[in-house]
Amino acid sequence: MRLRPQTVKQWRRFRSIRRGYWSLLVIGALLALTLVAELLVNSRAIVVRYEGSYYFPTYADFMPGSQFGLDYDYETNYRELAASFAEQREAAAASGAEPPGNWLILPPVPYNPFETDFRDDSFPPYPPSLSTQHYLGTDVAGRDILARLVYGFRLAMAFAVILLLCNYIVGIAVGCAMGFWGGAFDLIFQRLIEIWSNVPFLYVIMIVASVIVPNFWTLIGIMVVFGWMAMTWYMRTSTYKEKAREYVDAARALGASSPRIVFRHILPNTISIIVTFIPFSVATGVTALTALDYLGFGLPPPTPSWGELLAQGTANLQSPWIVTSVVVAMTLVLLMVAYVGEAIREAFDPKQFTFYE
Amino acid sequence: MRKPALPASLLATLLLFGCGGSEAPPPEPDTTTDDAVTLEETRFVDVLPTYDSVPLPDGLEWVTNEEDEVFASPEARRGGSFRTYMLGFPLTLRMVGPDSNGGFASYLRANNSVGLVAIHPNTLNFIPMLATHWAFDDDGKTVYYRLRPEATWSDGMPITADDFMYTIDFMRSEHIVDPWYNNHYTNNIVAVTKHDDHTISVEGATPKPREEILYEYGFGPMPRHFHKLDENWVVDYNWRAAPGPGPYRISHVEKGQYVTFERVDDWWGNDVKYLANRFNPDEVRITVIRDVNVAWEYFLRGELDTHPVVMPNLWHEKAVGEQFDNGYIQKIKFYTDNPQPSAGFWLNMDDPLLADGNIRLGLAHSMNIERLLTTLLRGDYERLKMHHEGYWDYTNPNIEPRTFDFDKSDENFAAAGFVSRGPDGIRVRDGQRLAFSLVYGTQEHTPRFVLLREEAKKAGVELNLQLMDASAYFKQILEKNHQIASMAWSTSPTPRFWEHYHSANAHIAQTNNITATDNPELDQLIDDYEDATDKPTRVALAHDIQQIIHDMGAFIPTWKVPYTREANWRWVRLPEWYGTRTTDVLFDIMSTANSTGLLWIDEEIKAETLAAREEGRAFDPVTIADETWRVE
Repeated sequence: MRLRPQTVKQWRRFRSIRRGYWSLLVIGALLALTLVAELLVNSRAIVVRYEGSYYFPTYADFMPGSQFGLDYDYETNYRELAASFAEQREAAAASGAEPPGNWLILPPVPYNPFETDFRDDSFPPYPPSLSTQHYLGTDVAGRDILARLVYGFRLAMAFAVILLLCNYIVGIAVGCAMGFWGGAFDLIFQRLIEIWSNVPFLYVIMIVASVIVPNFWTLIGIMVVFGWMAMTWYMRTSTYKEKAREYVDAARALGASSPRIVFRHILPNTISIIVTFIPFSVATGVTALTALDYLGFGLPPPTPSWGELLAQGTANLQSPWIVTSVVVAMTLVLLMVAYVGEAIREAFDPKQFTFYE
Repeated sequence: MRKPALPASLLATLLLFGCGGSEAPPPEPDTTTDDAVTLEETRFVDVLPTYDSVPLPDGLEWVTNEEDEVFASPEARRGGSFRTYMLGFPLTLRMVGPDSNGGFASYLRANNSVGLVAIHPNTLNFIPMLATHWAFDDDGKTVYYRLRPEATWSDGMPITADDFMYTIDFMRSEHIVDPWYNNHYTNNIVAVTKHDDHTISVEGATPKPREEILYEYGFGPMPRHFHKLDENWVVDYNWRAAPGPGPYRISHVEKGQYVTFERVDDWWGNDVKYLANRFNPDEVRITVIRDVNVAWEYFLRGELDTHPVVMPNLWHEKAVGEQFDNGYIQKIKFYTDNPQPSAGFWLNMDDPLLADGNIRLGLAHSMNIERLLTTLLRGDYERLKMHHEGYWDYTNPNIEPRTFDFDKSDENFAAAGFVSRGPDGIRVRDGQRLAFSLVYGTQEHTPRFVLLREEAKKAGVELNLQLMDASAYFKQILEKNHQIASMAWSTSPTPRFWEHYHSANAHIAQTNNITATDNPELDQLIDDYEDATDKPTRVALAHDIQQIIHDMGAFIPTWKVPYTREANWRWVRLPEWYGTRTTDVLFDIMSTANSTGLLWIDEEIKAETLAAREEGRAFDPVTIADETWRVE
């Protein structure tokens, strides 16, 4: 594939802004890792070898304890299984017998974000500890904070990206139409959007949350209904601007239809505006979900969520590891997203490429 | 006087779980109108309503009770100021009518609830209050009372039979815009009769055992010289402080900020045996603090005198540190012997899955409540055994709760056809998963239910947690749209089976039968229970009813907290026996409880403590655990 020279220039410019470039790499790597989070942060073993067979529980159906010679029919506790294999080996070594050859590999963080872990001698929240492999400690219900952070991050990013796509599709369509058609359509939509923008969005969420328990998609739906307006203004002005250019007149003179003009000529020329806004929209999406969860109007428990962790942390300041973990994670992610956004804006700044200097 | 069932249970939930802060603060009162607060003026009626007397019947046997021990301390000292807080400012100073059922209402009611008689908090016998003597009619539903002639309203006007007569007219009036009271004083209390200026009789709707009549058909008077009933009453009386029969009157109202009460001079109760040495502080100041965590910080600074610490994290994690080590703040855990709020899971039997008794029992055996109590709740809470536990004689002593048991849950679910497990480990029957939604309204409970959910998974049951805003939560349950609801019903002096289990309340909205119990055998027993007028019969029936309810398994009892835990600055003193058998809150200055107002403020100790804090001097740390009234 050959890239347009302008795109190559923009990419070079972007790469030259190291802060943004590295942030993009780190965020990209993190996102890629969370796609396989089940292999890294999970209570299920990655691979179990038991009595000559291999098992891969991560993405498989649940495997009852009885499958591995344990005395229960519910999901195997692989951490206990690992301990029992170790005992078997020791017993075999002590008696000089042939070791049974059972082993398993646990993920680096051997907890899932839902299970509650309790110890006999003390009560959660437990502080960070290497020996229990709760690297960031546990929350008040004894759940691993790192596991909840990782899965919460994945969920928040997925939420932000889907929200962004929906918002942009609606916003760009309406904005383009306003700019392209202008006239009464533009006038009416401007007023509609002004009115709609003044609906207090948080109250609507609260009211909806009091009637139904919101899930991932209803929450996206509500946020799109009240969030698509922001993009329309920018798209409207840039469509107006592009529409007046000679190439649009030229296309029209050649007999191009309106959809063709919009999709083939105007939209590609406004792409820099859209791209510039993406990182900031992602940041907005993540913070919005976190804020809603913090207030208790977000996703239902026990969904792993940064907002819920933040609420727990602020209510339990005597266990500082909860609030520290989530605040640091949140700050880092938002900071990196902001750096990427800054670099993109710089790279797409038309002043770099203008011919009217 | 009984409050409507719903807010009362909400209140009980909040109290029990230590003011979790889940109650949304009411909106700010509208201070732009000319709603000036009226505290001094108390007479708004020129010509007082008077009522005709009817001669007393012959042969009444007047009884009283001056024999029981007093429960207030003779060492109590009058004086000082008691400082506490509320989460929101009241919307009105009225006790009835719109917006009158907020948190502040408990103070107003308390001050007005010095009723005709009260229950002795230790012996549970009735003791005289506004009435010195009482007598029962043979019809089983009428009681006669002789009023205490020296009793007066807080503005000095005498309390007479006419005030009680007027109360009925008042409570039945449409001008108060309060259907609950309209109904209660029409259908529950049927008639009040004046026999002379200081003798009345009260007739209830249905015959009941004697101890029930006194409680059910008792009420407090309303001042007839204060209330001018017309269509403007609700608005006119929003910010007028009513005179009451109690020991305090409102002395200052700073809208949105605080309310203070002051002790009534020469209160008539000062020399009454069971009221003496109580209600000791001269002033009670209730400040608005909109967040429990903020209130806790105020308490640690010494700007509030006491704070409840029932919640495990408060008692173990927060109620520690300098103030406690230096003995400035003391902690007390005090066991009581009281009816227990019925906290647990209520299964809606109109749900197709839960209609199957095997599934209900299997579910009960899938709830690892023992693990919840010993781990997350630190062994602080105890297992509740049944609905209506701790009702003394009425509670069936043979009922034990179902425990977490794989064999039994397996057996029960298998009997219902849920034998195999799906790919996620949840049991399935013909493609239908064994999944339930659990609706609850308190965010603080999420960790508890998360634990139960994870444990239930092991038994092959999925519990989907559905946390709702408090009002939506009640709406869903009362409209019977829930599958499983977590809820704590408040208590009453004797079990209330009819509202919870009679088929008359099943399958319809806005009733307390949230399990959809519809059982002819049970209906018959409940009707017999309602009609019975002697206690042994009622007790026997209650035991039978409880056994059937237990066998039905539509209620999975969870936890109870048979004690109160509180923290106090050391100048707030209690009797040497701390509280009573039925104490709700030890440091309770005004509430409708029977042993309220035992505390006092010791100004010398206060000065000493504040000086010590200034100089960094320490006292011995004090943590009291009193098990006098613990029930094993």
